[in-house]
Amino acid sequence: MKLIFEKSVKGRDGYSLPQDLFDDIKIEECLPEYVISKNKKILSEVSEVDVVRHFTKLSKLNYGLDDGFYPLGSCTMKYNPKINEKLASLSNFIYAHPLAPENTVQGCLEVAYDLNKLLCEITGMDEYTMAPAAGAHGELTGILIMRKYFVDRGNIRHKMLIPDSAHGTNPASAAMGGFQVVEVKSNEKGTINLKELVELMDEDTVGLMLTNPNTVGLYDEGIEEIEKIVHDKGGLLYYDGANLNASLGIIRPGDAGFDIVHLNLHKTFSTPHGGGGPGAGVIGVKKDLIPYLPTPNVAFNSDQKKYYLLDAGEKSIGMVRAFWANFSVLVKTYAWILSMGPDGLYNASKTSIINANYVLAKLKKYYKPAYDRYCGHECTVTGREYKKYGVKTLDIAKRIMDYGMHPPTIYFPHFEPYAEETIMVEPTESESKEMLDKFIDIMIKISDEAKTNPELLTTAPHITPIRRTNDALAVKRAILTYDDELKLKDELNYKNENIEF
Amino acid sequence: MRYIPTTEEQKKEMLKEIGVSSFEDLIESIPQNLRLKDKLNIPEAISESELEDKIYRLAKKNADFNSMKPLIGAGSYRHFIPEAVKFLLQREEFWTCYTPYQPELSQGTLQSIFEYQSYISRLTKMEVIIPSIYDGASAAAEAALMSLRLTHKNKIIVSNLLHPHYRETIKTYLAPHETEIIDLPYKNGLVDMEKLKILIDEDVASIIIQSPNFFGGIEDMAKISEIVHSKSVLLINVIVESMSLGILKAPGDIGADIVAGNAQSFGMDLNYGGPYNAYLGTRKQYIRQLPGRIVGETVDVDGKRVFVMTLRAREQDIRREKATSNICTNHNLNVLAANIFLSLMGTEGLYQISLLNAKSAHYLENLLLKSGKFEKVFNYPFYNEFLLKSKEDISTVNKKLLENNFIPPLKICEFYQADNLKNVLLFAVTETLSRDNLNNAAKILSE
Repeated sequence: MKLIFEKSVKGRDGYSLPQDLFDDIKIEECLPEYVISKNKKILSEVSEVDVVRHFTKLSKLNYGLDDGFYPLGSCTMKYNPKINEKLASLSNFIYAHPLAPENTVQGCLEVAYDLNKLLCEITGMDEYTMAPAAGAHGELTGILIMRKYFVDRGNIRHKMLIPDSAHGTNPASAAMGGFQVVEVKSNEKGTINLKELVELMDEDTVGLMLTNPNTVGLYDEGIEEIEKIVHDKGGLLYYDGANLNASLGIIRPGDAGFDIVHLNLHKTFSTPHGGGGPGAGVIGVKKDLIPYLPTPNVAFNSDQKKYYLLDAGEKSIGMVRAFWANFSVLVKTYAWILSMGPDGLYNASKTSIINANYVLAKLKKYYKPAYDRYCGHECTVTGREYKKYGVKTLDIAKRIMDYGMHPPTIYFPHFEPYAEETIMVEPTESESKEMLDKFIDIMIKISDEAKTNPELLTTAPHITPIRRTNDALAVKRAILTYDDELKLKDELNYKNENIEF
Repeated sequence: MRYIPTTEEQKKEMLKEIGVSSFEDLIESIPQNLRLKDKLNIPEAISESELEDKIYRLAKKNADFNSMKPLIGAGSYRHFIPEAVKFLLQREEFWTCYTPYQPELSQGTLQSIFEYQSYISRLTKMEVIIPSIYDGASAAAEAALMSLRLTHKNKIIVSNLLHPHYRETIKTYLAPHETEIIDLPYKNGLVDMEKLKILIDEDVASIIIQSPNFFGGIEDMAKISEIVHSKSVLLINVIVESMSLGILKAPGDIGADIVAGNAQSFGMDLNYGGPYNAYLGTRKQYIRQLPGRIVGETVDVDGKRVFVMTLRAREQDIRREKATSNICTNHNLNVLAANIFLSLMGTEGLYQISLLNAKSAHYLENLLLKSGKFEKVFNYPFYNEFLLKSKEDISTVNKKLLENNFIPPLKICEFYQADNLKNVLLFAVTETLSRDNLNNAAKILSE
């Protein structure tokens, strides 16, 4: 499809200007010559009609959750309630300036304060910070809190334990936090190898980052021992909340001994992913860690009955962003929790667990599970049986697209010998039995195709807006802007008829 | 529950198919003593209409911001957003999809990001653009980290006219690396060039300068660049008010090696502080050290031009602890907002709005100076923000403004304690304030 630049026509416009452009003010009298650009920056010249059609057309090349099944494991693609969008866009919220006087933003502060209390109850923690903008940002914030906790005690530690099944963000965040990453291997049941954990956990280790259920979708049955091993050496236990959707109203990380928790509000708490954010990665901590939370935090003055932004004090890790939070994401989260109530939250987790186990039970004859046991809210199967037909998991995923669905997460988690060629399915509570049955039928059909007509898979997808992409060429050419493309066409002495762009 | 389609009857059926007698059997690996005995102690579910009432009531506890005009910026600017931006943004295909890992089902998101990279590249004159870091502050911190990786040095200089929140964020991000952070003082509202000459040496990885700076002053970046590049030091140009790019010289034309820009002004609401978006720009030679996601052009098996996430070998899901950053989910929907905004504005619109911002700000400054109630603090070139010292107590001034439906300007003493900055306000003006609004503000303040 054409780029917006290729639709540009000289002299066309898509903006409206106020009548009064302050023509009595001469810019050359306001600003010295050396700061003003000699030429206008060339963008594009299109009308509002062109823009609306361009982006409408682009949108139709996307597949969203409202289009259908979107079972990306570890991503919790659940339904995003429409009312929450409306509430987050109330004019009193969207036009609230982050540095406006506190008495003009009492509504915003109350939302954040109340939400903090609700999240504490849901996860068994003592206090949250709303600052982090995404899960990985929350991880970094949490790791910096752990670091500060030890520095404050004059107890400098250098290592962080991370399971081999962890999301890539965990080791990357730990490295940004200045820690050396030590990998803990999974056992034959897909969970933490306790013997190895005992050996690795020492007094130079700040703690363990654990996703529970883990990324294979399995609850760690050794959680009590894990907690003891880490705490006995004075370490802290970090909970990656990416998979909290399996735990609402069932088990709380705070009760299981976790000291620090991050939640992806754009996963468990229903706020939309927006094609890769914005979300929010709020961090909850136990009492001892409250002084280290980033600044500022929302507080309530009970004498004056006023909410205010509190400077977190000198032990705080400081600021992790400008202002203080992705506020509109908080409104949506708050609205969702209020709509669900305690029974709704429990029902969400229960349904998501039943859904995942149902898919696992129905598929395991066709796709070998990474671990043959009941799973949490997502199940991990593998496509390894089909290698002998020349079919990779990637081919299976691409073929799913031809049946009008978004494929599950593939090749993650990945560790030998159990989790290779993985297909991780997270149906969430938003999917009906009929939808799951449809997906299961498609997967069974594809398994048959893999044996009888593998080429159908290796050349898939066939009916999507575009087909398989040449990723190596993207790296080699590195065309990262329209001007790069123009330059390359120029260099190649491009003529329309001989190179297709 | 309206968000959960599976019925209780179906769940029973499914449990039977799974081969268990109850849901409890599925969660057997959770130790009994850790399971919740009672249900969560949170309010019972409310209906959609009750929810609406509740949140409306909360929103009403805010000031009626819709009828107020902001005279404050300081990193968050209320610009007009054409309705088409919001309308298009809400298409579910953009709103409810995931990060575009599957290009066959994500060309809308991917092409839009590519277009945005192209726009920002032209506005900043940087060759490569990372389209989405969370916000300006985290982008500045990522730029600082990038400069450490590029130079293998561990010392940076930061202008103290960089937004205070950005400075704080840089400090937080660099704390584990024990980087030496040197504060570069200001003089007359701009970077102190003489101090800069003294502070800069070959041990410095980078210097971080905001322009227009926190006081609104436009720095002489070409001159700063000359000093910085007399040593092998990287110049990081932070842009907090990206609307200024419409008329001001592009950072790439005046010596910037890395640009970190807050894109909030391009189609994003104030939203009480977020979500916003920021871009990072640099030269192609530094590409391998860039954090975050980038989109590139390639072809599919049919030879069609398509877009994919590329240069992924830098990223956390592939490199784990060796990645250039941990960034994963970012602010892509905000990228789309900015792309639609810039498409509507186009070459001429962005220029005109940018120009209007500068002109109306100078108009207000002039009015306030003429009122005799204010005086200049510094004599510097500014874009759409400026400092004025009030003769009247600034708390009284701001109270008057608030009573007359203006969100008052920032009391600069909240961030800077210098003697000459006592009783000083940082005003911001955008195109959302008409001449009448500005006359009215000036009238209120002259009384």
